[in-house]
Amino acid sequence: MNELAGGVIEIGWVQLAISTGFVVVVGILSIRLSLGLESDLAVAAVRTFLQLIALGLALRWVFGIDSPWLVLAILVLMMAAAAQTIVKRAPDAPRGILGSSMITMLLTGFTVTFAVTGLVIQVEPWYRAQYVIPIAGMVLGNSMNGIALALERTFADLDARAGEVLALTALGATPWEAAGDSVRVAIRAGLIPTINAMAAAGIVFIPGMMTGQVLAGADPLAASYYQVVVMLMVAAATALGSVLAVMLSYRKRFTADGVYIEKGYRRAG
Amino acid sequence: MLLAAEGLTFASHADPGPHYVLERVSLAIEAGEIVDVRGPSGSGKTTLLRALARLLPDVEGTLTLGGRVAEEYAPAEWRSRVTLLPQTAAMRPGTVRDNLLLPWQLKVRSAAHAPPDGALEQALLEVGLGEIALGRDAARLSVGQAARVALLRAVLTAPDVLLLDEPDANLDDESTAQVAAMTEAFASQGGAVMRVRHQRGDVRASRTLRLVGGHLTEVAS
Repeated sequence: MNELAGGVIEIGWVQLAISTGFVVVVGILSIRLSLGLESDLAVAAVRTFLQLIALGLALRWVFGIDSPWLVLAILVLMMAAAAQTIVKRAPDAPRGILGSSMITMLLTGFTVTFAVTGLVIQVEPWYRAQYVIPIAGMVLGNSMNGIALALERTFADLDARAGEVLALTALGATPWEAAGDSVRVAIRAGLIPTINAMAAAGIVFIPGMMTGQVLAGADPLAASYYQVVVMLMVAAATALGSVLAVMLSYRKRFTADGVYIEKGYRRAG
Repeated sequence: MLLAAEGLTFASHADPGPHYVLERVSLAIEAGEIVDVRGPSGSGKTTLLRALARLLPDVEGTLTLGGRVAEEYAPAEWRSRVTLLPQTAAMRPGTVRDNLLLPWQLKVRSAAHAPPDGALEQALLEVGLGEIALGRDAARLSVGQAARVALLRAVLTAPDVLLLDEPDANLDDESTAQVAAMTEAFASQGGAVMRVRHQRGDVRASRTLRLVGGHLTEVAS
C-alpha cells in the first residue's frame, strides 16, 4: 500500500484503472440492454478524468502562487460560470436574468464565503486559496442549484397563474401583490432540498466534504465540525441567494406599467 | 363623457410581421351607459377591453377618464377606476369572504375601509347568492356562483367603469339573468359598463358597437 505519513492512501494509475473498469462494465451493460448510453457515458467518464485532474493541477498552481488577486479572479470566474448555469437551467425566465443571477452570486457568494473563512475558520491571510476556493465552490455549487430551482419555479408558476395575475392586476394590484404567491412558492421550492439535506445529514448519508476529510485522514470529530459550518452556510447562501435572485428577477416579466406579459404577448427571439 | 379612447392601436407579434388587432380605434362612454361590443371570434374584443384597462403592453393612443389623460393616474389607480373583469373568474385560495375582501388588501385601497360582513352578506343576497356563507371555501363554488362572486367583488370596489369580458359565457339562464341585473344596477347608480358579448345583445344595452378587422363601428339599433 502506498500509505503516506498523514494516513492518506494515495491513488495511483492502478487505482484509477480499477475504477475505470467498473464504468466499462456499465458501458457493456448499456450496449447489451440497448440503453444507448455508452457514448454519453464514455464522454462523461473522460470529462471527469480531464476536468478533475486539470482542477487538481490548477489548484496546485494557485496554491503555489499565493496571490490575493489570483484568488479573487478565480472566484469571479466561478461566479460567472454559476450565473451562466442558472440562466441555462431556467429556460422560461425572461431575458435579462443573467445580470441579476450574477449580482446574486457575487453578493451571496462573496459574503458567505468570506464570512466563513474570515469569521468562522479565521484563515490567515484572508485570501488563502486552500480554504477560500474549496469553500466558495461548495457555497456556489449548492446555492446555484437552489437559485436555479427557485427562478425556474417562479416563472413557471406565474405562467400557470396568469389568469389570476391578470384578475389581481385588474383590481389594482402591484406586480409584487400579483406575483407574491408565486415568489413564495418558488423560494420555498428552492430551499426544500437544502433543508432536507440538513435534516438527513449524518443519518442517511455522510456529507461529501466530511467524507473527503475523513478519507484524507482527518479526525472525524474535527471533520464533523467543518461539515456543520459548511451545511449551515450553504443553507444560508441558498436562502439568501434564492430570495435575492427571485426578487431581482420577477419584475422583468411585467411592463413598466405593471402588466404581466403573458406568453401570447412575448416577442419571439 | 366619462371614459374616452382616441386612436388606440395595438399590433400582435404572435405571427411573423405585425398584425393590427386594433387600428386607430376611438370611442367614448358616458356615465350610466351599458355598451355592448360584438364581433367575430378573434376580432380583438378582449384586447380592446384590456387596452382600456391599461392591461396590455405596447398600446398606442390616448385614454382619458373624467377629462384627465391616463398618464395623470398611476397605473394601479387607473385600474381601480376602470376595472376589467376577465372572462374566467379567478378565485384565490380561501373563503368567499377572503375573495370579496381581496381588493382592500391591495396598496391602492390602503386608505379605504373594507365593507363589514353585514354589507357583504346583503350584497350576496341581492345577487341571488344568499345561500352562500361568507366562510364557504371559494374552491367549492360552481362556475355560475364564482362568476357572480367575481363580478360582485369588482362592483363592491365602486369603479367608474366596469369592463366585462363575456360576463355570461357558460352560465345558465338564472345566473345570466342575475349577472344582467347586477350590471344594470351598477349602471343605474352612475357607473359605465362595457361588455363583450357573443350572445345577442339584450334590451339593457344602451348601444352596440361592432369590432371587425381592427375597426370599431356603431351598430344601428
